[in-house]
Amino acid sequence: MPIGVELWLFAVALGTSMLGGVLGMASGIFIVPVLTMFGRIDIHTAVGASLVSVIACSCGSAAPFLKERLTNIRLAILLETATTSGALCGVFLAGLVPTQYLYLLFVLILLLSAQQMLVRRKDPDGSSSVQRLPLGMTLMYGAGMISALLGIGSGVLKIPAMDTALRLPIKVSSATSNFMIGVTATASAAAYFARGEIVTSVAAPIALGSVVGAVLGARILINVPAQRLRLMFIGILVLLAAQMLLAAFGINLFGPKS
Amino acid sequence: MKAAALSGQLETLLGRLLQYGTLAASGIIAVGLVLGLASSPLGMSVATAGIALFILLPALRVAVMLIFFLRARDYRYGAIAALVLLIISISFFVGMRWNAPAQ
Repeated sequence: MPIGVELWLFAVALGTSMLGGVLGMASGIFIVPVLTMFGRIDIHTAVGASLVSVIACSCGSAAPFLKERLTNIRLAILLETATTSGALCGVFLAGLVPTQYLYLLFVLILLLSAQQMLVRRKDPDGSSSVQRLPLGMTLMYGAGMISALLGIGSGVLKIPAMDTALRLPIKVSSATSNFMIGVTATASAAAYFARGEIVTSVAAPIALGSVVGAVLGARILINVPAQRLRLMFIGILVLLAAQMLLAAFGINLFGPKS
Repeated sequence: MKAAALSGQLETLLGRLLQYGTLAASGIIAVGLVLGLASSPLGMSVATAGIALFILLPALRVAVMLIFFLRARDYRYGAIAALVLLIISISFFVGMRWNAPAQ
């Protein structure tokens, strides 16, 4: 693979991870759209690379949350039985679902993320004990499946599951969701890796860029007004959703013609 | 309470494992990429080892939890951790058995 491509992959991961880190949002959601739309990389290769970067970000950022005792470890391992089962199901589906439907599913998730960025989260009223566990487990199963299919951390689905079904305080649900994302992604990445579907020349620069970006993002961008970044983030999400929608029907505005 | 003190220990342990694991895996990938840029044939294998370590890291985290829960005689959570580890292993073996879909 030419050096230019590796540098481009590294830069993409670095940039999205820096942005994502500041807003407390996983950057995994950007990697697959950018790689498939602009890099013309096969969606399965992009998903494999993205999963490795998702694991890297989850593991790399877990320590401070654990130190602050924000992560609910027991709840995490319990919900992980659901997310990893969902991921296993996603691995089976990944080979069967046509690329077009994967694109459409991605459009839906991108728009859901944009909507979540617009609406401020509030701490749930009343007691913060774990409630409605069966609903929470079901939503987590779905989050695991989507994670395996699209190569995202599915924080976008895990956090609402925690907020609405389990009614945990925001800081606890964010820390716990982030903690779970690594194990969820590993459950599908292990299958893709064993199948030889994780392409090192793509996944390596993406994973490294994500880790470096997360470290830099936490240090450099901390002074940039979050509101402006948030709007920029929403703009990018909507643009990517529009382009992916077009791509699902075979229209690509960017990148070389295939 | 004894359980709370034990839980604090577990958090420190997991935090260290994930932090140093991320450092090690990133370092190995970086070395692999630099070797690759220097057009060494070893580069890609080294980078692949780094990726494998990243994928292994959350599974190791669950394994540490399993051992911790068993030692604390918390068999219920020990069984839950074992189940998660089992599902990850199934995924890996499913991947080994299944051929990559035709491109």
